[in-house]
Amino acid sequence: MAKELTNFEQFKSGILDNNPVLVQLLGMCPTLAITNSLENALVMGAAATFVVVMSNLITSLLRNLIKPHVRILIFTLTIATFVTIADLTLKAHMYEVSKQLGAFIPLIIVNCIIICRAEVVAIKSGVGKSLADAFGIGIGFTLALSILGVIRELLGSGSLTLPGGAKLLTLPAAFEPHAWIIMILPPGAFLTLGVVVGVVNWLRERGKAGA
Amino acid sequence: MKKFIEESWLVLVLGVVFAMLLAGTQTAMLPQIRANQQQELLAAIVEVVPEMDAEQAPEEMDPQELGVDLGQLSLKDVKIYRCPGNGNTPAGWAVAATGTGFIDTIRLVVGLSATGDRIRGIKAVAHTETPGLGNKIDTKDEENFYPLQYAGKETSRPLQLVKGTAGEASQIQAITGATYSSQYVMDIVNEIITNIVPKLPAQ
Amino acid sequence: MDGVTLGGITGILLGVVLVNNLVFQGFLGICPFLGVSRKVDTAFGMGCAVTFVITMAGAITWAIMHLILHPLGESLFGDKLALNFLQYVAFIMVIASMVQLVEMYLKRFFPPLYSSLGVFLPLITTNCAILGACLYIYMKPETQPFINALVYAFGGGVGFMLAIVIMAGIREHLRFSNVPKPLQGAGITLLVAGILALAFTGFTGIGK
Repeated sequence: MAKELTNFEQFKSGILDNNPVLVQLLGMCPTLAITNSLENALVMGAAATFVVVMSNLITSLLRNLIKPHVRILIFTLTIATFVTIADLTLKAHMYEVSKQLGAFIPLIIVNCIIICRAEVVAIKSGVGKSLADAFGIGIGFTLALSILGVIRELLGSGSLTLPGGAKLLTLPAAFEPHAWIIMILPPGAFLTLGVVVGVVNWLRERGKAGA
Repeated sequence: MKKFIEESWLVLVLGVVFAMLLAGTQTAMLPQIRANQQQELLAAIVEVVPEMDAEQAPEEMDPQELGVDLGQLSLKDVKIYRCPGNGNTPAGWAVAATGTGFIDTIRLVVGLSATGDRIRGIKAVAHTETPGLGNKIDTKDEENFYPLQYAGKETSRPLQLVKGTAGEASQIQAITGATYSSQYVMDIVNEIITNIVPKLPAQ
Repeated sequence: MDGVTLGGITGILLGVVLVNNLVFQGFLGICPFLGVSRKVDTAFGMGCAVTFVITMAGAITWAIMHLILHPLGESLFGDKLALNFLQYVAFIMVIASMVQLVEMYLKRFFPPLYSSLGVFLPLITTNCAILGACLYIYMKPETQPFINALVYAFGGGVGFMLAIVIMAGIREHLRFSNVPKPLQGAGITLLVAGILALAFTGFTGIGK
């Protein structure tokens, strides 16, 4: 790294330049699986943000005590613990959404984004920077999920739903969502993500050329 | 030994701390989670057995005591409930079971009259049938005619699926474009009415 | 045993290999599916390693739930589910140590196989197809008997192998095509995966 990033730069980099999904192409499984609605995307993003923040916090606090060869074990243990907490909380207080997300909440454990942040940042940085990084990455992840969620739900169901069930907007009846049903089916997930990744690459190329 | 402790004390301490944290979280959350599941079941049962008194809890029956041989059925996770009505009058029965669906499994709750002679209603509580077609087995959307047809059907003979308008009393009209989902739901209902309903005691 | 029939087992196998393919329908194991699908040989190696680990992990996690956590919860607290909060931690630990064991075992006894699979083995721990399959085995009513669970786990691995080998075959040809620059790499792979997933939806309904 050429120069030490400030906390704010670290925070911002996770959202845009180093977006975990759209740029680093990590954490693909939940990105594809649960983005059939905006509500699922937001809840998933919040759960993953909670886990990455707690995991970065604990790793950063203990960074001088962790022996190098047991570090992966400790990361995994920490992540699995906080994922269980998130899972139980969702099942107790957001039962419907937690049923929709199903196994993808426990699968946050093997989301490479989170273990990657512990390994790359938290194990060698102070608490402030680790937290800034975790929030940045968490928001970046949520943002990417939401982009896909909005596209797929709008085309596939003709409406947008917020957590809690409130309808944000409904497309006019002239738009026939049944024709686009493929968008909320598995193939639609692959196709949408493929196109979004392509557009992000194109924008980055243009940005580089312009700079 | 000393080296082992030096290397791994942190893992052990963290393990114990995390286990206690989780045990505490589960103790705090489990009653609410159970209440949610109970609430979901109750809501489904009230929908298929409308006379059910929602203030009371449905009574779970032991299939073996009723003489239902679960090993013979293709259905999984079969639960049989006796549903109390207002006062002490029996409202009917509800049978929940998981069977094969077009894509994955379908969990269905079937409501039956107190004597078991008629179906009161059906509800798919969990399924992953194709959105837009197969999910018309769901009662969430009021436009879906398919599940509503089951109300009032006699349980003395198996139901039949027909394409186009159902004429006879034991016929069920298939969902256009999703005949498979229609067939799978009806298969589950038929298995319940032929194997479980005759074993239900009189209320 | 209740609920174990040949028809049931065939249904589970066909279901998890073709209809509910872990990659195309379940979105599990996408990272290695995108990352290790450039060549057919390596994709096949990865598929074999995953099938092996998934079968072992499926069997062991089944045993952990049905023979340890449930009976222990029942006898200590009178509630079968009382120790379920340890489920996720136990599962991931089993998978991580399984991968380590397999690595050591292969290195010691089958060096040629080890050298061909070696690079993929550590990657498998974070392959969500494995944890995912173990969780589904616990959640699905039809995989409660041990034999069914084993068949499901094995089929999950085979389905993953099928998906990644097909993808690798297509990508070997893609190298010679003229793909727009922003779509090169992940973009075009995802689009191809979408079309493959569309093809796999044609298998729905054969499970019965």
